[in-house]
Amino acid sequence: MIAKEKLRKADAFSGIVIFLFGAWIVWQATKMPMKDSWGGVQNVWFVSPALFPLFVGAMIMLLGLLLVRTALKTIGVKAVNDTLQWLFSKKLLQFLNTIPILRFYAIAVLFLSFVYLNIPRIDFFLSAVLFLSVFITMFYFDDAVLLKKLFFFYLAGTVFFTFYFAVGLEGFISRVLPFAKDILALCFIFGYCFYAWRLIRHGPQLRKKYRTGLIIAIVAPFTVGLIFKYFLLVPMPSEGLVVAILDAIWYFEF
Amino acid sequence: MMLLERIGAYFQIVLHLASDPLNILILLSSVMLGIMFGAMPGLTSTLGVALLTALTYGMDTATAMLCLLAIYVGGTYGGSYASILINIPGTAASAATALDGYPLACKGEAGRAIGLTTTSSAIGTIISMLFLVSISPLISFFALQFTSFEFFLLAFFGILISGTLTSPDLVIKGWISGFLGLFLACVGRDLLQFYPRFTFGVSELDSGIEVVPVLIGAFGIPQIIQVLKEQFQIGEAQKLQRILPEFGTIVRNIPRIIRSALIGVGIGSVPGIGEDIAAWVSYGAAKNTSKHPETFGKGEIKAVLCTEVANNACVGGAMIPLLNLGIPGSPPAAMLLGALMLHGVTPGPMITFEHPTFIMEVAAILLLASLSMWVVGMLLAKQVVKVLRIPAPLFMPIIGLLCIIGSYSLGMNIWNLYLMLPVGIVSYFLIEMGYPIAPLVIGVILGPMADENLRRALMVSQGSFMPVFTRPVSLILFLVIVWTVVSQFPAYRRFKDKLLEKIFRRKSRKADIDVDLPEEG
Repeated sequence: MIAKEKLRKADAFSGIVIFLFGAWIVWQATKMPMKDSWGGVQNVWFVSPALFPLFVGAMIMLLGLLLVRTALKTIGVKAVNDTLQWLFSKKLLQFLNTIPILRFYAIAVLFLSFVYLNIPRIDFFLSAVLFLSVFITMFYFDDAVLLKKLFFFYLAGTVFFTFYFAVGLEGFISRVLPFAKDILALCFIFGYCFYAWRLIRHGPQLRKKYRTGLIIAIVAPFTVGLIFKYFLLVPMPSEGLVVAILDAIWYFEF
Repeated sequence: MMLLERIGAYFQIVLHLASDPLNILILLSSVMLGIMFGAMPGLTSTLGVALLTALTYGMDTATAMLCLLAIYVGGTYGGSYASILINIPGTAASAATALDGYPLACKGEAGRAIGLTTTSSAIGTIISMLFLVSISPLISFFALQFTSFEFFLLAFFGILISGTLTSPDLVIKGWISGFLGLFLACVGRDLLQFYPRFTFGVSELDSGIEVVPVLIGAFGIPQIIQVLKEQFQIGEAQKLQRILPEFGTIVRNIPRIIRSALIGVGIGSVPGIGEDIAAWVSYGAAKNTSKHPETFGKGEIKAVLCTEVANNACVGGAMIPLLNLGIPGSPPAAMLLGALMLHGVTPGPMITFEHPTFIMEVAAILLLASLSMWVVGMLLAKQVVKVLRIPAPLFMPIIGLLCIIGSYSLGMNIWNLYLMLPVGIVSYFLIEMGYPIAPLVIGVILGPMADENLRRALMVSQGSFMPVFTRPVSLILFLVIVWTVVSQFPAYRRFKDKLLEKIFRRKSRKADIDVDLPEEG
């Protein structure tokens, strides 16, 4: 949690956002049938589906206003003006470039790319190995310079994959090469690991961390994935190259 | 006779569960896993229960409950390891334990402290289990008299009280969090008329927002971001000597144990409030009633005992409203509610009719889980402590992977993942700005109950709110809600202070006159 005075400044802004959100809920609720007929049922206000959202929205609006009032009472309008000035100054850029914020970007980008880009398209085992190897190495090395370099390398790969799927290259290439996206993901994993190795190869301590990180990044997805896929019979979100190989082994009649 | 029959039935269930070696294996391994989750700073018992819910999907209800309750009990106790050995609470529930546990470890008494926490945690769980068995029929009986108004007010009270007591900053923020949860519960087709609300034509939203991914997102993702962003480092652990059960200390402190257990059960049964508050209240009570309060904070063994009894007694306490009213008593209990729903068990007043032995089964599992926890704690504590050496950047990404596969596997729906992540990121920002997350989760869970019962009640009364004032339970609940809200405003506090001042002034004046009169006479 952030410090008290900063918290009150943030409260003034979050209160406004919450108030607006409450107003949006109320506005959406007013579009719901209050006294009109819905599905052959003539509505009355007290059975209307709008009743509860209206109540919730109104309460959120009220509480948002109370929060703004409390914050302004504590810090005054001048502090809000100072914050607004800060928001439009160079200091904001400096703040956004700090290491803790970079760490946040790294985690957010990793999760967002894993969930919205890789999991629905690339073989689960490969996307999980990629996720873990990047995640573990970026943070386990505990070095801001390495984190920055590894993050930008991963970001470049993510941009490439986004472009690859958005443009529709996948449909074209997969006709020529089966499992094209999985092979690409595999290449990216190797590329990332090679790049990370080049960065840390001179430090014995980092080399040890690198080995441990990669072992975990490979063992964990295969342990978890195999339990879910073959023991709990949960089909993976996307099954590709690795699942095809595992299936061939699992269902092979010895 | 009926009581004897109930006791007989209870022990029959205990024996039935304990006679299956597979059950014992599941119990011991789940307790062990729970202790590890509790011991590792950054992981919580709620997260443990959340992640294991996915694995229990294919099991029958009794085995799934065995697994999840064992994790819950183990996780609540496991937090004390990190508190005592590295002065960092493994979970919020064991934060109070660190105050005296760590000084004890520094004095070379870590083994004694862990032995005592193990025994006292087991006792706390067993006492709370006794309350669960004895109070449940009573609550169930009263709950059966409840109408829709009472259920609406009860759900509303649960969200408000959870917001009031769990907020680390302003109470308003706790309430906002609760109402945001209620909004999330509105998404999807409404239960009475099947009208799509806030779905924007997305068919995946028609069935509403799934509780389990929201829980995993809200508790898991912020935890991962916080630990890795803040570069959380675990300090050097104190040496752990031989672990002794400390029965002598336990016998000498029976009154304190009973008081702490009552605090734990009482606080646990209040909706949405967790083990941390029970531990702090118990710590405060122990310090206030001690003849030597100055020893607290310097390695007082009684403090460790009281906090651990109270936080584990919360487990059974949280089960009381969960099973009888369908209202979770703590965040891990909210997770258990989600798991129960997945297994087709709907907790509430009807549970004694639909599943007559279910509460007994839960009580039997709590007994077995506490015994397993004691055995594991006594025999394997030194091995479990090794998990404290694993650096956070190694295990947190794996937790992230488990959050993702866990959310997906419940319903095998990728949409759950799309939902879990934004909930997690928004929850992280809310936590950073001092908003508690428990009320949000309670809001998501109790939202459908509040919505449906409010409209049903108004349908019966033809739009009149009068039954709130004419039905005694409704009126009491309504007054409690009003008091909960009003008591948070400074104007009320000023009014109360003035009123008390006036009363005391009048009393002292009367006393002065009484004293003066004989002199005059």
